[in-house]
Amino acid sequence: MQWVSLLVRLGLAAVFLTAGALKVTDLPASGRAVVAYELMPNDLAMTVGAIQPFFEIALGLLLLLGLATRFAAWVSAATMVVFISGIVSAWARGLNIDCGCFSKGGHLPPGQTPSYLPEILRDVGFLAMAIFLIIFPASRFSLDGWLNPVVQDEGEQTHEQAE
Amino acid sequence: MNKRNDKRSAARVVREQIQREKRRKRTAWIAIVAVGVLAIGGVIGWSIYASQKAGQVNTPAQANADGNAIMTGTGPIIVEDYIDFICPYCKVYHDEANATLSQLIEDGKITLVQHPVAYLDRYSTNQYSTRASAAAACAADDGKFDVYTNALFANQPKEGSAGPTDEELIMLGTDNGLSESFAQCVRDKKYVSWAGKVSSDASKAGVTGTPTIFVNGKKIQASSAAIVAAVNEASTATPSPTS
Repeated sequence: MQWVSLLVRLGLAAVFLTAGALKVTDLPASGRAVVAYELMPNDLAMTVGAIQPFFEIALGLLLLLGLATRFAAWVSAATMVVFISGIVSAWARGLNIDCGCFSKGGHLPPGQTPSYLPEILRDVGFLAMAIFLIIFPASRFSLDGWLNPVVQDEGEQTHEQAE
Repeated sequence: MNKRNDKRSAARVVREQIQREKRRKRTAWIAIVAVGVLAIGGVIGWSIYASQKAGQVNTPAQANADGNAIMTGTGPIIVEDYIDFICPYCKVYHDEANATLSQLIEDGKITLVQHPVAYLDRYSTNQYSTRASAAAACAADDGKFDVYTNALFANQPKEGSAGPTDEELIMLGTDNGLSESFAQCVRDKKYVSWAGKVSSDASKAGVTGTPTIFVNGKKIQASSAAIVAAVNEASTATPSPTS
């Protein structure tokens, strides 16, 4: 299971690092992507949009290193829930926007239809990965395992040693 | 079970408990560090955003009262457009509607208020949107905003490529009769900050994409037909000039 957790952890890390890196080079654009959801006043949305890429990169680094994996997984899950509700609400209100998940964002040009369903399904997939990590946070090559090895928890380690 | 064994197992239970306690403490510390990492990320983002927002902005002479658009004409009806020089739909709109707009300006019907926003810097590898917007403001100082805008759209770079450099933007200007002061203005990056202001003001005005057109504050389709229709409607509704 630790190997599966490693794959999930690195996968989720890649998701957040990519999403953050694509947006971090143009913070005003990232802000406008948030503005396009029409959920917050402009100044707040611009600020959220500017902070978000850095937050995503920091979260991605935690996952990459495997530091506080369960905590990072909880934060990832919460973030995904926020993203999914944002897209659902944009869809429900009939907004014609790019989700701004990986770069771009903002209103779509006329004649282009938004792809809300695939975006939601993709984020639900990421949410599932985060939930998996909440349940199985222990993974190979993690800083957690190195800093804080499991000791005699429910006799798990004794079993492993015995085998 | 003899006494010694009991003692030994009791000691082991205590040891395990201490270890578990240590582990819990370490977990708490790791969590605190993790929260710190996220918080630092947020603070970096916020401070960069704040520092980008602040700063002095040069405003071209031909700008409107809000200092976020270039005005052409003196007609009573206000036609506002928001364009990005790298956006393909903006070129389509410009090529289709420009002659109509020029005619309406000449007829004294409209004042054209153009916001050259830099929304799409990410679509070029060298922030073409911002630099083109700033160069257009330099051209406005020479009284040739419209000429230069035409030239920019005629030479629009493909999305995703490297746009013309500043030197190439200057060449484009001098080819179209712009002076040495224009070249200096582009080289000095005089209106780069202005391009940022135009963009953030446009965002505040609820403009989330380009091209976006307003006639007397009413959003319309980006086409000459829609503009003419809206201008006709506005001129019959309110014949008195408002600006």
